[in-house]
Amino acid sequence: MGDLSDALAVSASGMAAQAARIRHVAENVANADTPGYRRKLVSFETEGQAAGMAGMAGMAGAGGAVAGAVRPGPVRLDDAPLARIFDPGHPLADETGYYDGSNIDLVVEIADAREANRGYEANLKLFDQTRQMQQGLIELIRR
Amino acid sequence: MFDLPAVMALAMSRSAHAGDRQALIAVNIANADTPGYVPRDLAPFDPDALAGPEAAMRATRPGHILAPGGIAPAAAARPMPDERAPNGNAVSLEAQMAKAAEVRRGHDLAMAVYSASAGILRGVIGR
Repeated sequence: MGDLSDALAVSASGMAAQAARIRHVAENVANADTPGYRRKLVSFETEGQAAGMAGMAGMAGAGGAVAGAVRPGPVRLDDAPLARIFDPGHPLADETGYYDGSNIDLVVEIADAREANRGYEANLKLFDQTRQMQQGLIELIRR
Repeated sequence: MFDLPAVMALAMSRSAHAGDRQALIAVNIANADTPGYVPRDLAPFDPDALAGPEAAMRATRPGHILAPGGIAPAAAARPMPDERAPNGNAVSLEAQMAKAAEVRRGHDLAMAVYSASAGILRGVIGR
């Protein structure tokens, strides 16, 4: 039973991590036309492995998470060059008529969102299956 | 004192194996996008290892009555070639979902055996 409870916690951490990822995708898409906006990138880390890197995070990882659970790492900014957009009438345009747009590629963002969706659904399906297995064990006692 | 019938003990260890494996699959799926993560799995459930050598099925030749080791079961397929995403992750969601279905089947089987045995015991005491 303890293993099944751990499995539930790990699946929940996977859903939370994919949700954080899709939130960053939403920020990126919403700011695709914001001048000077740089794409936000988030990478995932495994609890327990990263606890060693964090130093004093302790054995169970920060916040007492189950070993093997996943959490989103620090947000980084994509340092790809910003798009140069020609619009002499724009208030930010320099003397050549260009201004800095964002470095968001909408196709990349949509692909990332699809992948996050797929990961989220896999975690959700496993969470549901684990819950049903646990429920089955409880039913054995009830009879 | 009352001993648990062997078939119920076997069903319990089968269900414990399913629980352990489910926990590992949950970790694999949660880390399907973690850079550098390589999935892990348990060895298939082997009741002979629990019960000792005399519990193994007798066979005249390899492959006879599907003795263990005669025909390799699907679960013992060779490990997949090390196919990795550009970030070093080696988890295949499809393979993990297939394993989860296998775990579910084993767990349901163990519970069916356990509750049928419990029903027999209940019948014996006349309720």
